[in-house]
Amino acid sequence: MSVTVRIPRVLSQAVTTGVRHQAEGETLAAVLENLFSREPGLENHLLDEGGRIRPHVLIFVDAARADLDTPVRPTSEIQVLQAVSGG
Amino acid sequence: MMRILVGTEKGAYLLTESGSDWHVDGPMFPGWKVTAFGQTVGGARVAATGSNWYGVGVHHSENLLDWKPSDSPPTWPDGSDRKMEQIWTFHNEGDRLLAGVAQAGLFSSDDGGMSWDPVTSLNEHRTRDQWSPGAGGLCAHRILSGNGSMWVGISAVGVFRSDDEGATWVPKNDGIPSVDTAEGGERPEVGYCVHGLAHDPDEPDHVWRQDHQGVFRSTDGGDNWERIEDGLPAGFGFVMWRHPGTGRLLTIPLESSDNRVPVDGKLSVYASDDNGSSWRVSGSGWSEAPQFTGVLRRAFDGDGNGGFCFGTSGGKLWLTRDLGDTWQELNASFPRIAAVSIVA
Repeated sequence: MSVTVRIPRVLSQAVTTGVRHQAEGETLAAVLENLFSREPGLENHLLDEGGRIRPHVLIFVDAARADLDTPVRPTSEIQVLQAVSGG
Repeated sequence: MMRILVGTEKGAYLLTESGSDWHVDGPMFPGWKVTAFGQTVGGARVAATGSNWYGVGVHHSENLLDWKPSDSPPTWPDGSDRKMEQIWTFHNEGDRLLAGVAQAGLFSSDDGGMSWDPVTSLNEHRTRDQWSPGAGGLCAHRILSGNGSMWVGISAVGVFRSDDEGATWVPKNDGIPSVDTAEGGERPEVGYCVHGLAHDPDEPDHVWRQDHQGVFRSTDGGDNWERIEDGLPAGFGFVMWRHPGTGRLLTIPLESSDNRVPVDGKLSVYASDDNGSSWRVSGSGWSEAPQFTGVLRRAFDGDGNGGFCFGTSGGKLWLTRDLGDTWQELNASFPRIAAVSIVA
């Protein structure tokens, strides 16, 4: 199954095409691994040295905050939220 | 025609001389800090990006406007508890491109910066558990090489020298006051806050150092350091630069560690033509208006022909084309400037 993954525009410099991507997997970890196989430049920006989601990077599956073990359904939409701060 | 890459807190800009004015392209990398510039052996330009959330990036460009990301920027090995916070500097050493990073470490690339390996001989140095950060973090920010030796400046750890192509490293800080050792106390092996380094490529053992604790020089590759501040209004600062043709040294004094702005708001470069024995204000053109701003350690560059440029933490650029005899402030403002690079 293929689900939609949207990334913030600021991360578009790390990918080959745009902010909307398709990837496959039954958990968030599997979807990201599949996405990274085609967009390897994205991995370093979403995961830390230990393979964990970076602090302050929020990823939502179907509008609920997710971790790497979160299940993904065929109809799911995944959104990497834009991190912001003032100034 | 001079071109200047400017790395700021919010993106990078390319300034291209256009008659008596400058054309500005950018921002490139919008939303990203741009922290360092370099060049591959093949001639491509390299830029380092960083973020408070998304880690670091390395990008390549042939035309300074279109940049391609590396899929594998420097990364600490899996399982490491260190964070890759920022790329501070690039340096060419033979066919290799080196990067100095925070949390402090040295990385090496054999493919022009597309992939990187940690230099474990330095990164896992036997003193590593004693390394502590300065106000700017725990960062390897300056790399020099020549005659088979290499020097790396790490804040707030000190200068390390290798005489065996990076296989082993020895701290070289004798003569430098440590950051936090009481007078008369035992000198620690590390804990010295180097801010800037420059050396003579023809005599690489002649090294000049802008340190947290003042301005120093060494004529023996860093085995011994002596203070050289005659004529400077303050010993604190971040910049140390040497013009290769004339040997002219340039630095930018700031009042103190506690007040990192020019003394009395009088921003100016100071120059020495006697290897640092004495210093004077470099030329003319400095603003009469108060300039309470700083200059960061990577925000100074020279083109080797008498052109120098520096950017301030207030986002202004200053330029000279005559070895510092006359300076001008460019008519543009940018975000806080972290790095500049004059492109031939």
